[in-house]
Amino acid sequence: MQVYLPIAEMSVDALLLLGMGFGVGWLSGMFGVGGGFLLTPLLILIGIPAPVAVASGANQTLGASVSGLIAQWRRGTVDPVMGGVLLAGGLAGSIAGVQLFALLRRAGQVDLAVSLFYVVVLGTVGALMVRESLRAILRRRGGVAAKPNEHTWLHGLPLKMRFRKSRLYISAIPPLVVGFGIGVLSAIMGVGGGFMLVPAMIYLLGIPTAVVIGTSLFQVVFVAANVTLLQAWQVGSVDIVLTMMLLAGGVAGAQFGASMGAKLRGEETRALLGLLVLSVAVALLVDLIHTPSSLFAIGPMP
Amino acid sequence: MLACFLLLAIAPARAQLVDTARPNLAAQISTRIVEVTTGFTGAEILVFGAAERPLGGEAGDQVLVTVRGPRTPQVVRRRVEFFGIWVNGPSARFLDVPGFYAIAGTRPVWEVLPEEARAEGMLGLDTLPLAARGAQEPSFRAALLALKQADGRWQEHAVPVEVSGGRLFLARIPLPATVPTGPYLVEVLLVRERRVVAQQTLNLEVRRVGTAAWISAVARQAPLLYGVACILLASLAGWLGSVLFRRS
Repeated sequence: MQVYLPIAEMSVDALLLLGMGFGVGWLSGMFGVGGGFLLTPLLILIGIPAPVAVASGANQTLGASVSGLIAQWRRGTVDPVMGGVLLAGGLAGSIAGVQLFALLRRAGQVDLAVSLFYVVVLGTVGALMVRESLRAILRRRGGVAAKPNEHTWLHGLPLKMRFRKSRLYISAIPPLVVGFGIGVLSAIMGVGGGFMLVPAMIYLLGIPTAVVIGTSLFQVVFVAANVTLLQAWQVGSVDIVLTMMLLAGGVAGAQFGASMGAKLRGEETRALLGLLVLSVAVALLVDLIHTPSSLFAIGPMP
Repeated sequence: MLACFLLLAIAPARAQLVDTARPNLAAQISTRIVEVTTGFTGAEILVFGAAERPLGGEAGDQVLVTVRGPRTPQVVRRRVEFFGIWVNGPSARFLDVPGFYAIAGTRPVWEVLPEEARAEGMLGLDTLPLAARGAQEPSFRAALLALKQADGRWQEHAVPVEVSGGRLFLARIPLPATVPTGPYLVEVLLVRERRVVAQQTLNLEVRRVGTAAWISAVARQAPLLYGVACILLASLAGWLGSVLFRRS
């Protein structure tokens, strides 16, 4: 069954979209991430124009993360102060990101930029994740204790703030910078950025694991909402029909994935997720260096 | 007696005169409006009609059918290799090109009309005004022609004009799912002895209807409102989904 996407101005198989939503939702439920980093490249791969894929991907991430945020908020595992500081950076970052996106679109380089961002970011994050989890697995076998948090130059910065729930007294600058960076990536890649935000919160900011997921979801939901709004307003590329099709499959898949993820061990899950992230990066890189079948491309006037 | 002869001689000549001056052509299309709904996968329009004299073959009259869509500016970009990766390089912008163009005929247009007549009536893809801004190499023009034909938005004798019973003609012009919306012109031309002797112009409109039309209209006219609606709808769907599919 074909469905016409009014903003992308093309027809796509509805079952394909539902299936993709389900598969990505299943994986994201299993690994506890939004899955935007898988969805946007897949959309581009099936021929959705990159601006529509990115904007609708951000919109989908918002929908996929909202129920998680509600659940975490009820459990009291959201640090609103830390979330607010991250969000302030995230909003600024996503505004800057959408401007950059619009600029790249006018220059006709948006597809390339999206692919390059994916290759670099996913390649780096995937490699780090695999390395870290392999170390953890080895450490568990060898029985070596993990190093405690070290005192670094990050703790010497001004603008110190007290984050009660995270039991931290640190400068507001690192979370602002982290939030900003994730905001930019969110706007250009159409992802929530949870897969980068979570490690950054744990390793860079030293936030306790108990509040990391809830607080990152807080940032992801509001940044994704901001990206959706700005993409709809300035670029005009959010396709609500596409978003809804993906969400319909995604929310169902996420519930099945979550129950499966509970059975996997933490390090193994992270290693698998790292490998998945790496393989997406490699697939996109191959696409970039592979000689295209047609040396020309046509498109509408931006 | 003489008068009688004259009359006999004149009668067929006069009939011929009337015939060439006002050749009869009647054409119609199957629909005046093509509706693009959320389930749109492309459409086919039927252009049909009848002519007075036998059509087709080497000696008969020929029928040409053109379908032209609204003007849709296009950018053609060439990919270039840059440190091992393929990036979008120079581009050419074509401002005055139709978003949809199809020509069909009982015989190829270049066999039945001289070059000047084709250029004047813009009959055939090579007569489209493909003046580019930006990169000027002819390869951009060729790429535009090739890619537009590949996705079905430009067609040159992709389908025939079928003749049945000698005087009835019929062409099925396919519109792909990516067809641009707006006003279209369908022209039916009758060609005799390398000249257009009759023509009929019909209007066609491709328009979005239903939800698809409504969504794209809101997205264009009230983008801020549309953005807010997208946020609310996605949040609602996410929340509703987690309630429906909760497995605990």
